Amino acid sequence: MRRALAITRNTIREVLRERVVLVLAVFGLAMALGAQALAPLALGEGRKIVIDFGLAGSSILATLLAVFLGSTLLHKELERRTVYAVMAKPIRREEFLLGKFLGLWGTSGLLLAGMTGIVIAAVTLFYATTPWGAVPSLGLTVLELGIVTALVTLFSAFTTPALTAFFALAMVTAGHFAEDLRYFAHQGAAPVVKILCDAVYWMLPHLEVFNIRGLVVHDVAVEPARLLFAAAYGLLYMIGVLALAGAVFRRREFR
Amino acid sequence: MDDRMTQDSKRPVGRTARRWPGSPTPRLREVEPLAPLALASVSKTYRNPMTLRPFEAVRDVSLSLERGEIFGLLGPNGAGKTTTIKLVLGLARPSSGRIRVDGRDPMDPGSRRRLGYLPENPCFYDHLSALEYLELTGDLFGLPGAVARRRAQVLLDRLGLAGHARKPLRKYSKGMTQRLGLAQALLNEPALLILDEPMSGLDPIGRAEVKQLLREERARGTTILMSSHVLAETESICDRVGILNGGRLLDVGPVPDLLASGVREWEIAADGLPDRLLRDLESAGHRVERVGARFIVRVESPQALQGVLRELCEARVFIHGVEARRRTLEEHFVEVLGRDGGTDR
Repeated sequence: MRRALAITRNTIREVLRERVVLVLAVFGLAMALGAQALAPLALGEGRKIVIDFGLAGSSILATLLAVFLGSTLLHKELERRTVYAVMAKPIRREEFLLGKFLGLWGTSGLLLAGMTGIVIAAVTLFYATTPWGAVPSLGLTVLELGIVTALVTLFSAFTTPALTAFFALAMVTAGHFAEDLRYFAHQGAAPVVKILCDAVYWMLPHLEVFNIRGLVVHDVAVEPARLLFAAAYGLLYMIGVLALAGAVFRRREFR
Repeated sequence: MDDRMTQDSKRPVGRTARRWPGSPTPRLREVEPLAPLALASVSKTYRNPMTLRPFEAVRDVSLSLERGEIFGLLGPNGAGKTTTIKLVLGLARPSSGRIRVDGRDPMDPGSRRRLGYLPENPCFYDHLSALEYLELTGDLFGLPGAVARRRAQVLLDRLGLAGHARKPLRKYSKGMTQRLGLAQALLNEPALLILDEPMSGLDPIGRAEVKQLLREERARGTTILMSSHVLAETESICDRVGILNGGRLLDVGPVPDLLASGVREWEIAADGLPDRLLRDLESAGHRVERVGARFIVRVESPQALQGVLRELCEARVFIHGVEARRRTLEEHFVEVLGRDGGTDR
């Protein structure tokens, strides 16, 4: 585990030294300007709009960062052959991949936390009430980000950055519409189609499980059971995807 | 090949087998230590992902390194040197045959605990400084932080990088990167050091320093496998060499044995050679070359040397010097490759 954590620290350093933190500054500025601009136009709903757009925006931005940074991180190692010197040390390939995953998840999670902090600060500043519901929402979005990062790690273990980004974004999009897929498949489709859709439904990550932003906007408390279920589901899904990624990467030949 | 390897790929040979209660005490016998590196009939075939056409990068290579020797792996581009090294490091799997690093399978991370590796044209994380990179290397080797830092300082000093320890690696020159490559390969005080083109990118002073460092490592008992294109330097430092071409190991042996044919020819440097004698020497089949006012006469046998020297003395020619020219490793290398039909690629 120490070796995996060494890779994690290095990945976090690498991403942070790429000046990704600038995203936070841009997001903060956008939030401040948006909150001020919306106040007179939103007919008293400005607070809800700022929370809604702020949390959704930070989630989308963190997801995109995880996908695009993650799709190139492993590829860059292979292309520049920095991985050769690392893999010649007594480290398992799975440890290397786990380290990369944790580093990327950690960095995108930190950025997400920073952006959520900006949303909470902006709402507190402009509307004089603190949206504490954003905190559990942040926790669930971090879990969602973990699944996205695990998928990016899996795809990057065997394909190109472009295909990794494409597959990961396709999975994320489909993951948000998993329930709809099943609903439409059961509206009079052929039995084979139903079986296929069911299989895809169970394989896709059910990302809406992690979306409690609607409840936060309306200040509705989230049941602990839902949080626990989402946490358990997220962790299990991540472990499954990472186990698959490890098996794929273990078989990979470095040419 | 190495008869110390057993059929059981998991269990290193040369270790004590389990003894059941009541079984007679085995007679103690001296167990030969494991070879630091052994390859038995190793082949590696890649397939073109588009055409699926097979390509044999390494063919039936058998080799065993002895403890504390410097072994040079020579070959033209595409001979299979780097692929062989990747197989030894577990970066690729052999299609057939068996490799053991200190008795372990290369896919077992434990086989790399006492192994140092310098890649060809090394490239390290350029967002880190040399010190940060060596700390990362120490973590990967499982060294305590204080030990890794102390060794890093010593190595950076030894390799002339102490003044650049905190500089980002993106600002390093090729030679500095090569030196850092050596530092990270030596951080774990390896028993087996694998160096892919260690002289690449170094100036003459740097090459001399690296040669000295390799000699010191050998004196410490480290086994070194190095691939190189610089044959003159390989000859001066390696105990044994192997010549690879087209993935096949064509020749292996100690450098003096490979060059055993010894003296290839004698060069006699003489001043004021008369025309008559010049014609006689050329008609006798000796090569004569004029360099300024001096003549260089090349003869190929000891008998011919004695005859030519007698003639030169009788003609009262001033003999400036006689030098025996030995076969170089480069000439042996070209000869072996020529016998094999040239380079395969």
